[in-house]
Amino acid sequence: MGGDILIVAEHRDGKLLSTAAEAVRRARELAVKSGGKVIVAVLGSGVDAQAQSLASFGVEVLQVESPHLKDFTPDGYAQALTAIVAAVSPRLVLLGHTATGFDLAPRLATELGRPLVQGCVDVDLDGAKLLLSRKILNDKVLMQLELGGDAPAILTFRPAAWKPAEPAAGGSVKRIEATIDPAKIRRRFLAIEAPQVQDIDIAAADIVVSAGRGIQKKENLKLIEEFAKMLGGVVGASRPLTDSDWLPKTRQVGQSGKSVRPKLYVACGISGAMQHVAGMKDSAFIIAINTDPTAPIFEVAHVGVVGDVLQVLPAVMKELKSGA
Amino acid sequence: MNVIVCLKQIPNPDLQFRIAADGKDIVREGVTFKTNSTDEFALEEAVRIKEKHGGKVTAITVGPPRTVQMLREAMAKGADEAVRVAYDDPAAVDPMQVSRMLAAAVKAIPHDLILTGVQSDDYAYSETGGLLAGTLGHPHASVVTKIEIQGKEAKVWRELEGGINEVCSLPLPAVVTVQYGMNTPRFAPLPAIMRAAKATIKELQAKDLGAASWDAFAAGYSLRVRSVSPPEAKGRAEMITGKVEDVAKAVATLLREKGFYRGA
Repeated sequence: MGGDILIVAEHRDGKLLSTAAEAVRRARELAVKSGGKVIVAVLGSGVDAQAQSLASFGVEVLQVESPHLKDFTPDGYAQALTAIVAAVSPRLVLLGHTATGFDLAPRLATELGRPLVQGCVDVDLDGAKLLLSRKILNDKVLMQLELGGDAPAILTFRPAAWKPAEPAAGGSVKRIEATIDPAKIRRRFLAIEAPQVQDIDIAAADIVVSAGRGIQKKENLKLIEEFAKMLGGVVGASRPLTDSDWLPKTRQVGQSGKSVRPKLYVACGISGAMQHVAGMKDSAFIIAINTDPTAPIFEVAHVGVVGDVLQVLPAVMKELKSGA
Repeated sequence: MNVIVCLKQIPNPDLQFRIAADGKDIVREGVTFKTNSTDEFALEEAVRIKEKHGGKVTAITVGPPRTVQMLREAMAKGADEAVRVAYDDPAAVDPMQVSRMLAAAVKAIPHDLILTGVQSDDYAYSETGGLLAGTLGHPHASVVTKIEIQGKEAKVWRELEGGINEVCSLPLPAVVTVQYGMNTPRFAPLPAIMRAAKATIKELQAKDLGAASWDAFAAGYSLRVRSVSPPEAKGRAEMITGKVEDVAKAVATLLREKGFYRGA
């Protein structure tokens, strides 16, 4: 096993996902410690543009081509990647903690008989040991794991765990024609479906007031709507509310919903799970109201209020109306 | 259509947690437990598939005796049988080991489909379903929001980032991990709760899974906890504290000063 760090880059609709550049930044630092280099694999059919774009980060790119890799399938990708991992013999394989990562990383781990740790917020090397930081229990606790020996590992890291890499010189692209046996592709890709949008676009609003489970009852949405209206904003929501159909899916802020970056974001009774935070952390100013002082939303908020949103909001509105 | 649903009992993640004195785990005394939320959706889906296509639902978990309560609830909600793999590590940190135990147990249970939640809300690895599929050699789909059984195949909708879906089809038997909000889990009716209270929960020890001890399921590498701590408070919010009226005044002043409220 060498000291190389292998990144599997994801792309969709011809564009790279941001996780590729994020992994490159951290992998460069790790490669210095492990005495190897950063290699990025991009798989697909006709992915020259993605490969060139990755090479602009100054890394070695493996452009893995096959007509059977046109659409993502775990069986197709695993066939190509197990061959690459065997050839490169990297210290680490890094994939995004994404829907694709969930399909692919466990598959690689079982096929290659390698350890798997998903959802890392940081990865470090301590001699022969790997140190893996993870947030657990609704992101309220940080756990650091130690993976012993020098076992090569498969890891997924959370999107936005690291800042994206800056462009750098010295990149290269090596094109490989992968041998894929289509008979071994069991799961078949059928289609990509985008939802029909028939609602306001919360991503276009300057002020977003979002409600979470802390509002307790659907009737209490009135309070959130009233407050949003006072500020000239729109109402967003965390996932449990849209899952319960209290609000349409179009209002969901988060990784699987909309990403917003308004001038003001007010999180009302939202604990701040990664899924939600991924969609609002770049807001210019964030106010969070939550009963739990250990809630992770207070890690991304600029101003935090520990309290019951059902009491705090009416009092704030009263203050605003009184004009004091 | 026989469906196996893998459940996990987790510390209620809404609690506030304290760090144990040795800095290696949370304080587990006094912690209350619940069924992992995406596993609840997986159970509901399994029962709906049975109701539509016939067959049997088996609920299975790996965990200490307290998990029997969770399995009884699953039976009250429609599972026909329940199995507890009696491995008792309250803080098992390696899903590889757990998925190997599950794989050994489900091999003995005839099945067409295995469902489980996309992640557990305690450790949030999102690994167990995928590792189980890999260990069994079944095809797998993660983050699924809809399943249609079509003969010997399952057509599934996977939720990708940004709210779009991938539709794909899997030959059965397969493993599917279920996303939040896939359905609305039912409440158990009282007679079913009464019946489930008396039902037999099958208990499996290592020897029942063909192993000399639980160590046989160890993953062959060392993965252990170095430390557990509150998250570093680097981006911590400026906190406004006090009585509701005082807090409200401070927030209102802030909204005015920043120009977010231009009303009367």
